[in-house]
Amino acid sequence: MPTLAHYLLVSGLLFSLGLAGVLLRRNILIIFMGLELMLNAANLSLVAFSRFNLLPNGLPNYNAQVLVFFIITVAAAEVAVGLAIIVALFRAKQTTHVEDLNTLKF
Amino acid sequence: MIDPVFLEVSVVVLGIFLLMAEAFGLAKEKSTLAWWAIGGLAAVFIGTFFIGPNSNSFEVSGFYVVDGLSLFFKRFVLISTILVLVMSVDYLPIVQRLVPAERPGAGSGEFFILPVFTCAGLMWMVSATDFIMIFCALELVTISFYIQVAYLRRSMSSLEAGTKYLILGALSTGFLVYGITWFFGATGQTNLVAIREVLPLIPVANHPAILFGLALVLVALGFKIAAVPFQFWVPDVYQGAPTPVTAYLAVASKAAGFLVLIRVLEPFFTVPSFQNKLFLALVLLALLTLVFGNLAAIPQTNFKRLLGYSSIAHAGYLLMGLAAIGDAFAGGAVVFYLSGYLLMTFLAFLILVPVTKASGGDDIAHFNGLARRSPGLALAMLIAAASLAGVPFTVGFFGKFFIFEAAMNQGLYLLVLAGIVTVASGFYYYFKVIRAMYWQPAPEDAGPVAITKTSSVAIFILAMLILILGVYPQLLIGMLP
Repeated sequence: MPTLAHYLLVSGLLFSLGLAGVLLRRNILIIFMGLELMLNAANLSLVAFSRFNLLPNGLPNYNAQVLVFFIITVAAAEVAVGLAIIVALFRAKQTTHVEDLNTLKF
Repeated sequence: MIDPVFLEVSVVVLGIFLLMAEAFGLAKEKSTLAWWAIGGLAAVFIGTFFIGPNSNSFEVSGFYVVDGLSLFFKRFVLISTILVLVMSVDYLPIVQRLVPAERPGAGSGEFFILPVFTCAGLMWMVSATDFIMIFCALELVTISFYIQVAYLRRSMSSLEAGTKYLILGALSTGFLVYGITWFFGATGQTNLVAIREVLPLIPVANHPAILFGLALVLVALGFKIAAVPFQFWVPDVYQGAPTPVTAYLAVASKAAGFLVLIRVLEPFFTVPSFQNKLFLALVLLALLTLVFGNLAAIPQTNFKRLLGYSSIAHAGYLLMGLAAIGDAFAGGAVVFYLSGYLLMTFLAFLILVPVTKASGGDDIAHFNGLARRSPGLALAMLIAAASLAGVPFTVGFFGKFFIFEAAMNQGLYLLVLAGIVTVASGFYYYFKVIRAMYWQPAPEDAGPVAITKTSSVAIFILAMLILILGVYPQLLIGMLP
């Protein structure tokens, strides 16, 4: 039977993997995947907290589960806008690597 | 009497109406959309003065609060959006040149409509008292800003700024939601009022979880207000984004970020075991932000980038006010500073737009000889730069003065010392602009700078307000919540 600690461990791993992807990878699409992974790590632990810390009346606190739906929706909106920007960048520059983003330097 | 919820709803309805008007070709000239938006927002602004005292049905749910502070910032946000739209009308030729379009003028209408949606998000943000609401409002603002920053699709720097803002903004969102998760895990609440009530009852064993969540949320909000060490997106994004969007980011987004920061931190200042750690973190952030923002601004040659670093520096003074929050007037000082910051930053950007159009760029060198070409504009820029630096008889001086006073009363002598030293370095880099305008010769073929009538009216009003409030700060203090 998995406990709260197991879920939190997996969610922490997901968050660290996402963060490592953002910091270490050089392809913008992969970086974007890492960002989505970080949001999903939060979703997992929100649902786990909600299910394991029951209210006095024995029901889970649904506030957290509602927040999960909002996070999923917002993440979808963010992907829609983000991919459009990345496509526009690719059209203009023929690259999706962060090293090639060097127009803005003083 | 108006129910306060209608304010945001009518802003969203206005945005949807403008989108439809654009899609069905109701507006022949694209700038008509901007005038409609300005008219609608002005009507909502007037509506904020007719809020019923207890007509708030949302308040019961705990998601949404209408107090003096949130009303003041709703007006603040509405005024900044109107100024952004005024600036955008002036900026329209550059947008139309840099957006790929099948027909002349196509694809530039949304440039006036997106700020309206951002405005609604910002208005919700300043009223939010629940993490769910804070998250949704913040994302409405951030996602619409992604589009606005990357709007000029033929300009490499705008696209690049948009990509950088996208990645770092999404990163801060990731930190924010993971932080909220840990708050929820440790307290069982997403509501800030409820968190405030249960916080003293939390067993000490759960304190590390709350501190972890607090640190993550602080990182995320540090991104929004451009505090060091989370400032690295600021110079690039400010330089690359279209100028009106830069002004919007610098003023409204930062102000709303500060208000959310105040609301999130408030419960933790009441519990002694968190108070000390939080206080230390704020002092450290303020110190780093002050020193970095001011020193890194010194070698800049691009005016927008300079204002980017200057906005980091201003965040440092504001954080200093936040660290001194124990003082009775510290909250008022922060709000006063933000109001003064709105006036002087918008003034500088309103002048930058026509100068960019006339001289083809936004480097400090493009201001050369402006005093001979357009003495009025140069004088207004002189007032803006003096106020940003904090010269007496401008509103910027009193902003800094009140914050330093509050910090002195709280015994933050180190911060005040850093503040005074960095103000001196501020004088140097703002003076570079003044030197370019008054001492450098103008290019051979340069005539006077063309400027639209609305922009010049806005510039005149802002410059006068800076001077009047610099002599009679009581006028503004009387209006503070």
